[in-house]
Amino acid sequence: MTAIVSIKNLHKHFGSFEALAGIDLNIKKGEVVCIVGPSGSGKSTLIRCINQLEAFDDSSKVKISGVDVRQDETARAEVGMVFQSFNLFPHITIRQNIVLAPMRVQQLSEQKANAIADELMRRVGIESQADKFPRQLSGGQQQRVAIARALAMGPQVMLFDEPTSALDPEMVGEVLDVMRDLAVSGVTMMVVTHEMGFARQVADRVIFMDAGKIVEAGAPDKIFDNPEHQRTRDFVNAVLQY
Amino acid sequence: MYSSALKLRDTAAYILALLLLSGFASAAEINVGANVGNVPWEFQDAEGDYVGFEIDLVKEVAAKLDASVEIVNIPFSGLFSAVQSGRIDIAISSITVTDRRLESVAFVQPYYDSAQSLTVDSQSDIASLDGMRDKVVAVDTGSTGDIWTTANTSRYDFAEIRRFEGIVPAMLDVQSGRVDGYISDIPGLEYFIRDKPYFTVVQRIETGERYSMILARGNPLADQVNDVISELKRSGFVAQLHRKWFGSEPLPDSSTVSVIDRPLSTSVGGTDAGFVQTFLNWEVLLNSYPLLLSGLSVTLMLGAISIAFGLILGLFVALVRMYGMRSASIAAKVYIDIFRSIPILVLLIVVYYAPPFAGIELSAFTAAAVALSLVSGAYTAEIFRAGIEAVPSGQFEACRALGLSYRHTMTDVILPQGIRVVIPPLTNNCINVIKDTALASVVAMPDLLKQANQAQALEANPTPLIVAAVMYIALLWPLVIMVSRLEKRFRQEFSQ
Ligand SMILES: Nc1ncnc2c1ncn2[C@@H]1O[C@H](COP(=O)(O)OP(=O)(O)OP(=O)(O)O)[C@@H](O)[C@H]1O
Ligand SMILES: [Mg+2]
Repeated sequence: MTAIVSIKNLHKHFGSFEALAGIDLNIKKGEVVCIVGPSGSGKSTLIRCINQLEAFDDSSKVKISGVDVRQDETARAEVGMVFQSFNLFPHITIRQNIVLAPMRVQQLSEQKANAIADELMRRVGIESQADKFPRQLSGGQQQRVAIARALAMGPQVMLFDEPTSALDPEMVGEVLDVMRDLAVSGVTMMVVTHEMGFARQVADRVIFMDAGKIVEAGAPDKIFDNPEHQRTRDFVNAVLQY
Repeated sequence: MYSSALKLRDTAAYILALLLLSGFASAAEINVGANVGNVPWEFQDAEGDYVGFEIDLVKEVAAKLDASVEIVNIPFSGLFSAVQSGRIDIAISSITVTDRRLESVAFVQPYYDSAQSLTVDSQSDIASLDGMRDKVVAVDTGSTGDIWTTANTSRYDFAEIRRFEGIVPAMLDVQSGRVDGYISDIPGLEYFIRDKPYFTVVQRIETGERYSMILARGNPLADQVNDVISELKRSGFVAQLHRKWFGSEPLPDSSTVSVIDRPLSTSVGGTDAGFVQTFLNWEVLLNSYPLLLSGLSVTLMLGAISIAFGLILGLFVALVRMYGMRSASIAAKVYIDIFRSIPILVLLIVVYYAPPFAGIELSAFTAAAVALSLVSGAYTAEIFRAGIEAVPSGQFEACRALGLSYRHTMTDVILPQGIRVVIPPLTNNCINVIKDTALASVVAMPDLLKQANQAQALEANPTPLIVAAVMYIALLWPLVIMVSRLEKRFRQEFSQ
């Protein structure tokens, strides 16, 4: 089975600082991978490299469904992304946020784009908010819109960079519920998160990163209950204690 | 109880005494307005002291009345309003007695018989008024030279009249060739050019005009001053001033030596003009309306052109500043900083007077438009930069993550947000540019302020200035309201 995301020898430098020090990773269709690790370990940089928000070293290779993201700009459209800070477009309505890219990039008719939007808004539970502006929604609702906006492009893989970190605690659950539903329905996902409960429940695989490297990867039970490496153990103990 | 009542009475008496004293004090000091620089009538000598024929005269008059003199420098066109409002007691500045002016101010008896004159560059081949056909004439705003020239424009086929605020700027433009001749009071001109052979007075224009001082109508000081002037004529003091300042004897039957009656208004009506009569005079308004409208259209045109060029320039400079090569970006920043720190008036004068020395001649309109556009461009550049930078980087990233092209990123996401941020400060900038057009008056631009000044001098009444103020407000108020509405709306939209 071919990998949806295939990362080979990924190095990323900010000036002389090496943020990613050789990452190798394959993600299969339908797989849900959670990435955990201390602050500054390179989690965000890794997923930003996958959709080319960051350029990376020449020797590295990132492919989406076998297409090199640097060779083919359209490969990026196969990757959906959800940001910590939502990044909704504040000047247009929820519906317009969702249909913009399908209409502009995939040249869908307004009718088709709207049909997709309606379906997705129902899926993430914001169908009654269609004609509101982002500022009129709660943080949890806004993040669900962002998920719908990314899904509207029909991506092969969804990237999440700490999607619940900017939310008030009472709204974290509603966003994680939506993500769990996506996972169950077979969406391929890479999720950078500090929500260890979510990772344990939903992830097929948990990756622990430190200092720009993957230290350890495996099933949630293994990483959380039986980590091999001392650094993983320290990290897990620290976050679970807290 | 008793003592405090006593105190109160004492205080009241004290205040009364103060009021009486201050009444005497104001009689003991006479505020005299003068268009300083109007040689040889009132100007500053090398030490910076006020000197001149009329300065000597008014000081002597005050001395005879046991009063001191305080000189206030006011441009000619502003003298009439200044006496009417009571800001000054007396105005001097070789002011010609006219029936029109007598309707709004009081004159004392005249003391100098004058005429107009045509002055040209000595190199020019203009030898008389007839040579001024299709030529540009300079005059002083609202002066009798202005009135005579306006009335005789069709007779001599002058191409255009440009209005200045005094001899020096007018003569600078005669020298630079922007205007071909200058029509102004002959005594001042002869005095001014006595050490400047590159100017020539080519024609004396008999107008039968006489100079005197003005006061507010109904001011009892007028009769006292008039009596002193009679005395000074009889004693030969005024004739002696003539010898001192013109180096010649006054003519035997001229107003410089013979005592004459105070000129009085021929129109019926009260001697003391009321507030409304003075500041909102309907007749004056009707008379000056066409002039004000033409000024308004020049102001609008100058404002619109400067705003348009400022926008283009500003957008260009902002893009160079943000995305240009390092050296270009630094140049853009230097431009922005310089033109935001230079006072527009200074820039205007530099742009107007400097290029002729390099052989480039800019019209007053072009010079004003260039100066205003340069400044507006600098402000606009900063506004655009702030607008684009105000769109959070997350917006760009969201667009990239969705696969939107650069063009769609800009047109659908970034610019619509940037414009919202930019419109309120841009509108503010438009307001400033339109206000700043009033500064163009100094380079003889017939804008709204200039025309209002001219009208108020012609009518000897401040109503045109009030009307001009109302026009500025009517023009800018809607923009001001629009700015605050937009600011409020966009603030709401962006608060998430
Ligand atoms: N634009 C940048 N310029 C320079 N250094 C950067 C830049 N972005 C990230 N870094 C550095 O790269 C390293 C990895 O950053 P990254 O944001 O990927 O960490 P992270 O694991 O996502 O941390 P966090 O949990 O705090 O989000 C950090 O040391 C960070 O300081
Ligand atoms: Mg991060």
